[in-house]
Amino acid sequence: MRGKVSRRAFGAGVMATGLLGKAARAQEPKRGGTLVATWGGGEPQACYVPAGGGSSPTFSSSKLLERLGRRRMDGVFEGELAESWKAAADFKSYALKIRKGVKFHDGKELTTDDVVYSIDEIWKKYAAASAMTEFAGVEAPDGDTVVMKFGKPVPEFFFSSLMCGSVNYIVPKHVYAGSDPVTNPANNAPVGTGPWKFKEWVRGSHFEYVRNDSYWRKDFPYLDRLIIRYVRDPAGRAAAMEAGDIHIGVFNPVAPPDIKRLTATGKFVATPKGYEEAVWSTSFEVNMRNPIFAKREVRQAMFHAIDRNFIAKTVYYGYARPGTSPIFSPNTAFFTKDTYKTEFSPAKAASLLDAAGYPKKGNEPRFTLNLLAAGWFTENGKIGAYVKQALEDVGVGINLTVPDRPTSIKRIYTDYDFDLAISNQANPSEPVPSTTQYYTSDGIKKGVPFRNASGFHTDEVDQLVEKIKVETDPAKRKALVVEFQKITTLEAPNLPLVELESITLANTRVQNHSNDPNFLSSSWHDLWLAS
Amino acid sequence: MALAQSGSRQLAALRLLRRRLVQAVPLMLGVVVINFCLIQMAPGSFLELMTAENQVSDPATVALLRKTYGLDDPVWLQLLKYIWALLHFDFGFSYRQNMPVIDAISVHLPATLLLMLSSIALALAVGVAAGVVASLKVRTFWDSLVSVAAMFFFAAPSFWLGIMLIVLFSVKLGWLPVGGMATIGGVGGGVAGVLDILHHLILPTLALGLFYAAIYARVMRSSMLEVAQLDFVRTARAKGLSRAKVTLSHVLRNALLPVVTILGVQMGTVLAGSVVIESVFSWPGIGSLLFDSVSSRNYPVVLGILVLGSLVVIAANIAVDLVYMWLDPRIEIR
Repeated sequence: MRGKVSRRAFGAGVMATGLLGKAARAQEPKRGGTLVATWGGGEPQACYVPAGGGSSPTFSSSKLLERLGRRRMDGVFEGELAESWKAAADFKSYALKIRKGVKFHDGKELTTDDVVYSIDEIWKKYAAASAMTEFAGVEAPDGDTVVMKFGKPVPEFFFSSLMCGSVNYIVPKHVYAGSDPVTNPANNAPVGTGPWKFKEWVRGSHFEYVRNDSYWRKDFPYLDRLIIRYVRDPAGRAAAMEAGDIHIGVFNPVAPPDIKRLTATGKFVATPKGYEEAVWSTSFEVNMRNPIFAKREVRQAMFHAIDRNFIAKTVYYGYARPGTSPIFSPNTAFFTKDTYKTEFSPAKAASLLDAAGYPKKGNEPRFTLNLLAAGWFTENGKIGAYVKQALEDVGVGINLTVPDRPTSIKRIYTDYDFDLAISNQANPSEPVPSTTQYYTSDGIKKGVPFRNASGFHTDEVDQLVEKIKVETDPAKRKALVVEFQKITTLEAPNLPLVELESITLANTRVQNHSNDPNFLSSSWHDLWLAS
Repeated sequence: MALAQSGSRQLAALRLLRRRLVQAVPLMLGVVVINFCLIQMAPGSFLELMTAENQVSDPATVALLRKTYGLDDPVWLQLLKYIWALLHFDFGFSYRQNMPVIDAISVHLPATLLLMLSSIALALAVGVAAGVVASLKVRTFWDSLVSVAAMFFFAAPSFWLGIMLIVLFSVKLGWLPVGGMATIGGVGGGVAGVLDILHHLILPTLALGLFYAAIYARVMRSSMLEVAQLDFVRTARAKGLSRAKVTLSHVLRNALLPVVTILGVQMGTVLAGSVVIESVFSWPGIGSLLFDSVSSRNYPVVLGILVLGSLVVIAANIAVDLVYMWLDPRIEIR
C-alpha cells in the first residue's frame, strides 16, 4: 500500500512531530498503558523467521529478540547485547564484549554460548549468509568475550552493520540447539531478551506482548503492553486509527488521502523519519541474456525514455523522488550525486537506439520486449502501464504482464523470463552485499530473489566490489563505492526509477516514535503514551 | 394414521439423507481432483517461495526439499496420495504455519462459520419479514420502502457497505468496534465473553447478511403474492379462517419454498462473501488464511479449505433438502 498525501498536510504532520517532540521532552515519560500498533502489510508466516522472511516477521520479532548492536539516528553504532566491539590490527577478527546481567524471557542468563550459537547456526546459515562469505569462525575465549574471525580484512562499517542487521538476532541456544531452526516451534512464540515478552498470537488478528520486567535497560519499557494488530484493508486501518483502536501504524498503514484527512484533525502526525536504514526503491532491471541489451546504449535508452518525476508525482502522489544511483540518497555514508545521469529525454533515447543499430522503420517497432511488473505492490502495475507507453513513444514494442508475487518471483529470479522488470529493493546503508550483489557475478543465484537477475557482470565491477569488501580505510572505501556507483549508472543493467518515502502515522499521544533509522524493526522499548 | 404418516416421513427423510450422502462422494472426489489439478496448473510453487524466502539456492537442498514434500512424484501419484490421506482425515502439513493443515484451518474455521450462520440468520429473518410485509401491504408506502431498501442493499457492494457501517457506527458514533472478533486482552470468559463476541459480530453480520436479506425480501414478496392467488388459499379463506391464520399457516409456509431453494444454492457464495467481509472487519476467519495461502502458494492449506468448504456447502444443501420436505410433505425428493 502506498498512497497520497499532500505536501502541505505532510509538512504539517512533520512539523507537528517536531513540536510534539519538544512537548514530549518537556513532559516526564508516563508509565503504563497499552499501545496498539499496526503496519501496512499482512500477518507474518511466523512471529520469527530465522532467514528474515520479509518485513512482517521482522516487525513482530524485533520487539522480542535483540541484536548485538544498533545504529542510531545520528549514524553512530552502539552496543545492545554487546557492550562494544573492537577490530584486531589486521581487521581479520573482531572481539565483542557481551553485556552481563541480561536474561532471556524464560529466566535463563544470556551467555557467550548463545552468541556463538546464533552467529554460527542462525546468522551464517540463514539470516546473514550472503554477508558472511568470508566468515572463518567464532569462539568465546572467556565468559565475557566473543571473537569473530574472517578470512580477509573486514571494514569496521561492514562489521558494525552486520552486528545491527535487522534480523541478526541472538536467540537462546537452549531453545534452538538440536532442532531445525526453521521449524522450531519457538518461532511462533519467541523467547528473547527484548523489552517485550510474548503472550499470545491470535492468528488472523493480533500479537499480544507484555512488559519484560527483567529487561536489562533499567526502567524500560515504559508501557505495560504492546499489541500488534493486523488489518488487511488500508481503509479499515484508517477507521481503526480514527476510532482510537490503533495508536500507531508504520510503513504506509493507510492511503495518502487518509493521511491527509487524519493529520488535518490534529490528532495524528505523519512522518517519513525512521526508514533511513531501510529505504525502498522501485527498480528497473534489464535482462542481459537478451542480445538486444548487449550494447550499453540500448540499456541507457530504456532509462532515458522514462520520466521518473512523473512516476514520483503521479503514481506515488509525490511520496517518492527520482532515483539516481544504486546507493540511495539518504545514505549519507556512501551516496554520490556524481554519477551518469539517465535523465528523461525521449530524443536522446531514440538517438541512442538509432546509434545502436535499431532505427525506427515507419510504424513498426524497433524491437519488442516483454516487460514484467512485479505484482506485489499495486504501484508496480501502474508504473508498468506508464513505462509501456513511454517506451512505445520511442519506438520500442512492449508486452506488459503484471503477475502476482509468487509468479513474479519465479519469472524474475528463477526462470529469468523477462526482458525488462519493474521490481523493488530495500537497502541498508552498508552496500555489501545488499546493493553490490545486484551487479556482481556471485550475485547471480538462480532461484534466490532480490539478487542479480539481470545477469550483468564484468570483471571490473567484480574486482571493484572485492576491493570494497576488504578496504578498511573509510575514506578509501567511500571512494571505491563512489566509483562503483559511476560504473553501474553508466552500464545501467538495473537502476532505481524512484526512491520511496515510507510513512509512519501516529496518534499524537504516542511519544518517542520514529527515533530509530529502522523504526519498524527496532525494539520500541522507549515508546510511551501521553495522557 | 398420523403415526403411520410420521413414520413414513421419517423413512423418506432417511432415504433422502442416504441418497444425498452417496451422491456427495463423487461430488467431493470431483472437488478434490479439479482443485488439485487447477492448483498444479498455477505458476509458481510453495517450494519456490519457501526457498526464496529462506534464501536457499543450493541445488542439493532444493532437491532434498522436493523429496521431503513429495514433489518428485508424478502429479497423478501426488493426487492419489492426497486422496488416500484425505480418507484418513489427513489434510497434509502447512510449511508456512509450521503445523498440520487441519490445525491451521481449525483455528480460523469457527470464526467463519459463526459469521456465515449469523449472516444467514439475519438474512432470513429480515428478508422473510420484509417480504411478508411488502406482500401484505402491496402498492403502499411499506411495499415501496421494502423495494427501495432491497434494491439498495442488493446493489451496494458488501465491502463498501462494511466500510460505511464502520464509519457510521464505529468512527462517528463509537457504538460498535471497528473490527476483530473480541476485545484484545479479553473481557473475561462466560457471558461477558459471549456478549463481547456478539458485540463484534454485529457489523460484519449486517454487511454480509443485508445483501442476502435483499434477495430474500424480493423473492418472498413475489412468492407470497403468487401463493395467495392459489386455490387452497381461497379455500382456506372460504372456510372462514382469519387472515393471520391463512397468512401464517398456508401462504407463508408454501411461499418459503423458493427462499429455502435459494438459500441452499447460495451457501457457497455466503462462504465466498465472508472472505471479503473478513478482510474489511479483520475477522479472524479462513478468509485471511485463504488469501495468504493463495498468495504464498500454500497448496495444502488452499486444498484443505476448498475441501472443507465444499463439505460445509454439501451439508448445508442436505439440510435444505430436509427442510424442504418438512415444509411441504407432498414433495418427494428423488
